[in-house]
Amino acid sequence: MDTDKHGFKTVLLRHETILFAVLAAEWIFFDAIGQNFGTYDNTCDILRHSCEIGLLALAMTPIILTGGIDLSVGSLLGLCAILFGKFWRDAGMPVPLAAACTIGVGALAGGLNASLIAWLRLPPLIVTLGTFSLFRGLAEAITHGVDTFTDFPASFLFLGQERWLGIPAQALVFIAAAIFFWLLVHRTTFGRSFRAIGFSPEGARYAGIPVGRRVAMVYVLAGIISAIAAIIYTARLGQAKADAGTGYELFAITAVVLGGTSIFGGVGSIHGTLLGVAAIAVLHSGIAHALLPGEMAGMLTGVLLILALAGSILPKTISDLRARKAALKIPKQTA
Amino acid sequence: MKFFTKRLAALLLLAGLTGLTGCNKPAEPLSTGSGNQTSGRKELTIAFLPKSKGNAYFVSCAKGAQRAADELGDKLIIDGPTDPDPARQNEIVENWITLGVNVIAASCENKEGISTALRKAQAKGIKVVTYDADALPDARSFFMNQATPQGIGDALMDEAARLCESNGEFAVITGSLTAGNQVAWRSYVEERRAAAYPNMKCDAVEACDDLKDKAQSETTALLSTYPDLKLVLSTTSLGVPGAAEAIKQAGKTGAVKNIGLGLPNENKRYVHDGVTQSVILWKTADLGYLTVYAADALAKGALKPGDKTFKAGSLGEFQVQGDNIMLGKPFTFNKDNIDLFDF
Repeated sequence: MDTDKHGFKTVLLRHETILFAVLAAEWIFFDAIGQNFGTYDNTCDILRHSCEIGLLALAMTPIILTGGIDLSVGSLLGLCAILFGKFWRDAGMPVPLAAACTIGVGALAGGLNASLIAWLRLPPLIVTLGTFSLFRGLAEAITHGVDTFTDFPASFLFLGQERWLGIPAQALVFIAAAIFFWLLVHRTTFGRSFRAIGFSPEGARYAGIPVGRRVAMVYVLAGIISAIAAIIYTARLGQAKADAGTGYELFAITAVVLGGTSIFGGVGSIHGTLLGVAAIAVLHSGIAHALLPGEMAGMLTGVLLILALAGSILPKTISDLRARKAALKIPKQTA
Repeated sequence: MKFFTKRLAALLLLAGLTGLTGCNKPAEPLSTGSGNQTSGRKELTIAFLPKSKGNAYFVSCAKGAQRAADELGDKLIIDGPTDPDPARQNEIVENWITLGVNVIAASCENKEGISTALRKAQAKGIKVVTYDADALPDARSFFMNQATPQGIGDALMDEAARLCESNGEFAVITGSLTAGNQVAWRSYVEERRAAAYPNMKCDAVEACDDLKDKAQSETTALLSTYPDLKLVLSTTSLGVPGAAEAIKQAGKTGAVKNIGLGLPNENKRYVHDGVTQSVILWKTADLGYLTVYAADALAKGALKPGDKTFKAGSLGEFQVQGDNIMLGKPFTFNKDNIDLFDF
């Protein structure tokens, strides 16, 4: 067990090192061929553009660690965005109260996922596929697909568009969330229990881990984070519409998997996810600044994902092959 | 050991982040350097943003835009969203801001949302024009207005009257009874009829909910309800092929004429079969061409607020109404010219 864990650990470290090297290579490459890519302004833009997906990816990491998945985060972002607009414009709430209520709704929506998955023991893929449609459908029904919330006060738009102490305001929220999730996953018993559940839910249960409560916790957290991402998204665009965050769940999952978290659960890290988010965001921005067609971003993200995964598995495969060869040689010599 | 490796990873990450933010190079304008400066004109970089990239309508707009940019010697960047994320247009514009383009020409999917990014561009000294779908007025200098509701209403009614020789009954298929643009177009059709063609009578207005199938079933019902019907007029693009299918299946090809707003490609078959007589829209390539000419002139100071006319290369003079540059009268696609267009 101990050696096994150690083996996984070295692979994990290797993966993140590789990913960091890829990220650095991307940066150097686009800085060389792109126009005004490595500027401070653009760095801030990259940060701004990746905050929402970054937040969702952070929340997705513990979920995938437990062997689950949450496909509903993008739809929930859309629902929370328009509810935030409703609370502010139609219910006349001040922005902070509207934001608090929105986060409450996010927690409730996450709670819905959590109760179906943790207590009814339904598969997360099916549950969140259902709520994926449900949340987006609700958002569209509430606004009839056309109502748009806009004209937010400048003090609120500051969160999405301005800089505070020289860095984009929403990046501070993102950094705070990153630290929170890093501590949760890597420095608490919660994090260890997520991994244990990911390896074997039954084993974790026998080991005395309250599996249901732990699983519920990660989905509720994802709901809360989706709501926070919705508020940041609204501040960045200056508008809230029912189609906000379309497709973000897949970007988030891609970033998590690129960051080295196993889709089967049990293995993964928050810093890996952060590197995954950064690698994708830098790629998107770099392609635009190198005046390459935007479609390439999707294509190269795919290539990156496959390369990074292959790169982290290759050393292990090679050593396995060697071990097998050596094992074959031994009987020959004895014979 | 365990602590050490973890700390190392965190440290690397931190170093990465500070490295990224530390690269504080001054931004350079995009167009200096190897530009074509022998002719003494300044090469501009114009960024052209469609609502979506693969859409045939915008592809043909972009063709006109590229032709204009080639004539002017400007560099044209065309990029647009390929996925349905409504934030993507903002990201593209923000990338263009740091890239340092001179002018941005945008067709706006989300009026309020993209205006945020366009205002930011203006604050950085980038000129902004819009085409096809406008932003908020304070987020751009000029809007290329492809057609006014009155222009569309008049063109539809005039074409209907021409086909019916200003006499007889017709029916209207509309996208929806309440949508703003549909209401405006219908009211101008009626205004034109009352003013110029008093001998024509509108029997009915039916909504097809922007569905081809519904346009077809509504038209079938109209054909049996009003035996003297001479023409069906659709104010929505899916109405035209829907009505055409109904007329064809009722065996009334040619006896009942069919016209409306629409795209050439989805109507070609019916136009060649003689079911549909005319499809009305604007020349999308001309819209792109005008947009790039206006963008270029705006950046060079040749186009200013208050101008009454604007000359765009080989297309000649355009009227300017306030901050709208008018593309002019809609274009009628018919049997003779429809194959020249691909969108």
